[in-house]
Amino acid sequence: MKKFVWLALVALLLIGGAVMAQDTEKPAFTQEEIDASPYLQSVLARQETMYDTSAFKKDGPYRIALAAQGTSNSWSALFDEHARWYAEELGTDVIGELLYADAQASADVQVPQVEDLLAQEPDALILVPMGAAALSAPVERAMAQGVPVILCASTVETDNFVTEVGTNLYAAGAYLAQYLVDELGGEGNVVMMAGIPGVTTSDVMEAGAKAVFAANPGITVLDGQPGNWSTAEAKSLMETWLAKYGDDINGVWSGGAQMSQGIVSAYLDAGKEIPPIGGGEFGNGFLRLALENELSYAAWQYPNAMVTLCMDMAVKILQGESVPRFVDFQDSIPDTQYFTDAEGANYFNPEWSDDVFGPILFPAERLESLGFLVKK
Amino acid sequence: MVLGATSSTAHTLRRFVVQYGVYVSLGLLLIAALILTPNLFSEQTLTVLLKQSAQLGIIAIGQTLTLLVAGLDLSVGGVIFMTSVIIARVSNGVDSALPLAIGLSFLFSAVIGLANGLLITKRRIPPFVATLAIFILVQGAVQAYTRGVPGGFVPEGLSVVNQSAGFISIPVVLWVVLTALFVFVLRKTPFGRRLYAVGSNADTASLSGLNVDRFKIAAYILCSLLACVSGVVLTGYVGYVDRFIASGLDLDAIAAAVVGGTLFTGGRGSVLSTMAGVLLIQILSTMALLLGLSIQTQFIIKGVVILAAVALYSLARTD
Repeated sequence: MKKFVWLALVALLLIGGAVMAQDTEKPAFTQEEIDASPYLQSVLARQETMYDTSAFKKDGPYRIALAAQGTSNSWSALFDEHARWYAEELGTDVIGELLYADAQASADVQVPQVEDLLAQEPDALILVPMGAAALSAPVERAMAQGVPVILCASTVETDNFVTEVGTNLYAAGAYLAQYLVDELGGEGNVVMMAGIPGVTTSDVMEAGAKAVFAANPGITVLDGQPGNWSTAEAKSLMETWLAKYGDDINGVWSGGAQMSQGIVSAYLDAGKEIPPIGGGEFGNGFLRLALENELSYAAWQYPNAMVTLCMDMAVKILQGESVPRFVDFQDSIPDTQYFTDAEGANYFNPEWSDDVFGPILFPAERLESLGFLVKK
Repeated sequence: MVLGATSSTAHTLRRFVVQYGVYVSLGLLLIAALILTPNLFSEQTLTVLLKQSAQLGIIAIGQTLTLLVAGLDLSVGGVIFMTSVIIARVSNGVDSALPLAIGLSFLFSAVIGLANGLLITKRRIPPFVATLAIFILVQGAVQAYTRGVPGGFVPEGLSVVNQSAGFISIPVVLWVVLTALFVFVLRKTPFGRRLYAVGSNADTASLSGLNVDRFKIAAYILCSLLACVSGVVLTGYVGYVDRFIASGLDLDAIAAAVVGGTLFTGGRGSVLSTMAGVLLIQILSTMALLLGLSIQTQFIIKGVVILAAVALYSLARTD
């Protein structure tokens, strides 16, 4: 009898574990989806491919160039601070010098900056590409010069780089859409607000979401327009949709938390009940708004802390370790998984200002020195 | 005799197009909306439409003033963003600090307008270059002040701009009052009439004793102050400091003034026809959304409308 009880307990644990594993498992893709998306084909193939980096092997300390997005928003400021902090953490015997260029979020500014960085003959280049097409040639030139390129947070059109750190954007868009499908029980009307048309992050996420909605015939996409990752534009657009569709909107898919804030604001002004939103992020402003208004939402993440992983990749490459051609930060940085409103309170930090995008890996003093803590 | 009559009719027609073309176009567009998108006339859509028009309209008044003196102001986007940052940073979400924050915003905006005016009049820098340089400078200064993080808290009190009674909201009242004020100033006061004179022919105005530079500088200061008003309204509307808060509005404001018949070469145009231009552009955008047209199609339509307006005015003024 005792044996039977133990066996039953173990079986229950195994089943529970399997169910939990299924919850956090990344979405699977149909062959049809893979065939239709060059992005998906590329990411899935590169995830399985290792890059032999023996040609780049050299002794440290290393001079690593970081061509960053630069002064533009809080995400980028925290990205830079993570880079500075992590270089200190690794120590000067590993990273002797961190060369830095600030692109001010512009591809036009970044292209000559990469050339300048390469002229300083760094051991590796970490690049946050501000334009997939514009930065392809500089990446090719770096590789031809023998400087391994690590793409961080975005991609380029050429395949001639060592590795890319990011996440499967198609899967992220699909996850947010699947959340809405599940919340609506497979039946209902949604509107879709994407980022900036033509930008890879925006287009790929939107494609992932559309594939999910298309696979669920009970879901009707009433409308889809870009909100250009702007709170102001998102609010204006949502106001027009509310005027047009009113209470027929059962769910909103959004390609960014800053737009979701505008969406929520439009609902609050209109005095209407806010439907489930597939489009939150680990952004403190969004999380505060979500808690205050008891929103139902699903969130994805694009952590600025991923630069630490990009730096790890640079060091590994220079040490001659083989690396995967695509590295998903979800597998390496804690607290970067998808989440829903059920876990939202765990992510919200009342000490942080609204501009903070987590997770933050460095000590709070550094956040304070940057002015990211709430003034008391 | 017949030739003379034909010529006179053509002249009358041209004058009619120049003076009333935008109002006729607006009327035709509203008829088209009745057929294509009748829900444009629902109370909720009209509320949204007018509120969004007001945000653009307040900036467009200022752009009309600079266009009247043969200039233009590309720095208004910077002024709006700066206003938003000052409000959030200086007040830090505290209502009682709002007057100080708004006061500082107006002060800095006036300084920006003065700088634009001085560069254009005293240094003879073309308005396009001068105001673009000031725009970049303002953006840089704001980034230096915020260290690249345009954050802070917008006071709850500023959300008053979102309140409305029927389809009349505070931004709409502000827009109408400011338009009425500038219609009066431009038509009924010596300052307004001289502004037109300076824009029509600066040399003649100068010869008749007018201080041309002073009028031009005044136009740029007023334009910056109006952009600041719009910045306050937009900040209350969004409730956050948004880096993209003025994106598109700056150029749309110039487009609205041009569609309204204001000449790039100065001296011709009116704030009232700019108001009609704003409504025309905003109704077109809303109709496109109601029809579910793609963003690409929306851009094409907007471009075609601006081109058509410029071509029509150009034809009508060829005399």
